[in-house]
Amino acid sequence: MANIKETFLNPIFKGNPISVLVLGICSSLAVTVQLKGAIVMGLSVMIVTGLSSLICSLLRNTIPNRIRIIVQLVVVALMVILVDQVLKAYAYSVSKTLSVYIGLIITNCIVMGRIEAFALGNKPFASLMDGLGNGLGYAMILVIVAFFRELLGSGTLLGFQIIPQAVYEFGYVNNGLMILPPMALILLGCIIWVQRSIQKDLQEK
Amino acid sequence: MNTNSNTYTVIYSIILVVIVAAVLAFAAMYLKPTQDANVKKDTISQILTAATFTEVEDADILDTYKQEIESAILVDINGEEVGTLDIEECEVYGNSDLKRQITADPKALPVYIFKNGVTVVPCYGAGLWGPIWGYVGLEGDLKTIKAVRFGHKGETPGLGAKISDEPSFAEAFVGKTVGEGEVIFEVTKPANRQTENNGVDAISGATITSQALGKTLNQWFGFYQNYFAKNGITAEDVAEAVINETCELEPVTEVEPANIVEE
Repeated sequence: MANIKETFLNPIFKGNPISVLVLGICSSLAVTVQLKGAIVMGLSVMIVTGLSSLICSLLRNTIPNRIRIIVQLVVVALMVILVDQVLKAYAYSVSKTLSVYIGLIITNCIVMGRIEAFALGNKPFASLMDGLGNGLGYAMILVIVAFFRELLGSGTLLGFQIIPQAVYEFGYVNNGLMILPPMALILLGCIIWVQRSIQKDLQEK
Repeated sequence: MNTNSNTYTVIYSIILVVIVAAVLAFAAMYLKPTQDANVKKDTISQILTAATFTEVEDADILDTYKQEIESAILVDINGEEVGTLDIEECEVYGNSDLKRQITADPKALPVYIFKNGVTVVPCYGAGLWGPIWGYVGLEGDLKTIKAVRFGHKGETPGLGAKISDEPSFAEAFVGKTVGEGEVIFEVTKPANRQTENNGVDAISGATITSQALGKTLNQWFGFYQNYFAKNGITAEDVAEAVINETCELEPVTEVEPANIVEE
């Protein structure tokens, strides 16, 4: 049981898919302008990684080796389309903001990477936990980046005004650069920097 | 069992694909009504924005529409009314309906007339990566733009996507006029503009989207030109209407003027 807990918790900090494995960078730059979008995107990725790892792990002994990758893709695509359809039906405005990026979860290296590296060689429950943990690790970085981008770029959080009007009257302006993707990359760099100064073993000699 | 044999691989992939297809088909069919309702609500919310009803709560969109709309009609290319849209059912022309009207002959073009005097007409065309569309709210003269709301399927974020994301772009249209003849509306840089008051600045870095939007607006304003000419209330019309009204009222005022003042 301790092992499964470790499987779930490891990708959240020590083996974070974004800051340590540096996977899934593109979408983390694209959907982090607003916190709401980042949260929904994070949840969607969690569901997709968790469930597709689970399904692939259940099928792992039956999958013909030669079409292994194709089978994984089909399973991932199935989950992504389902998530996309559900969002379109029940969270239309968010799904409009995220537009193509939900569909692009399929190209997120984390999903395929975890299936190939973990789910195909482990039991279903452990795979589910591994998928969920990686999704959560991804979501966490997204939320941190989006928190700073929305706060400094628009002065809001989840759409609510956080920086009071009085501050603006003193001449404070929202940082327009925060809205643009390059700033997400810089923030991501800062997160990686902070993590590597805490976790010395990640530093390259 | 040998999971590497050809037969196994083929059968396995067939079964997998059939199962996946069945799941997806079921999900698509089950969720379709909800998704369609969302799309319709979104269209109505865009129409409402163009009719200057901004900041309507998501839950109130349909009610606000039913409350504020005067009539929703379909007109042909000559500006003649050829049908009506059901207001109680919140019947509107969505993007696919608009797309069909571009080539349709005879056309049935939707016109949404609101109680506050704003008339909303749609437009729909091709942008850079996919379709773009818009709703233009016109004042009673059917010339002056009161408010606009543009939308797009997949224009470049930060560039072409600004037609819907950037409030200042939509605000630039307010107060401009819809011209007549060949140059109905222009979305270009000021130096390239041929006319005075029926053009707005293009978005830098999004030339193709901007030009496509101008072209789309021109095409659809062209469709509606006869309707605008026939139904627009000009300054003379207003003056005439005032005169007519006073003429009609005269006999009444002679009989019981006091009552009318009270009412």
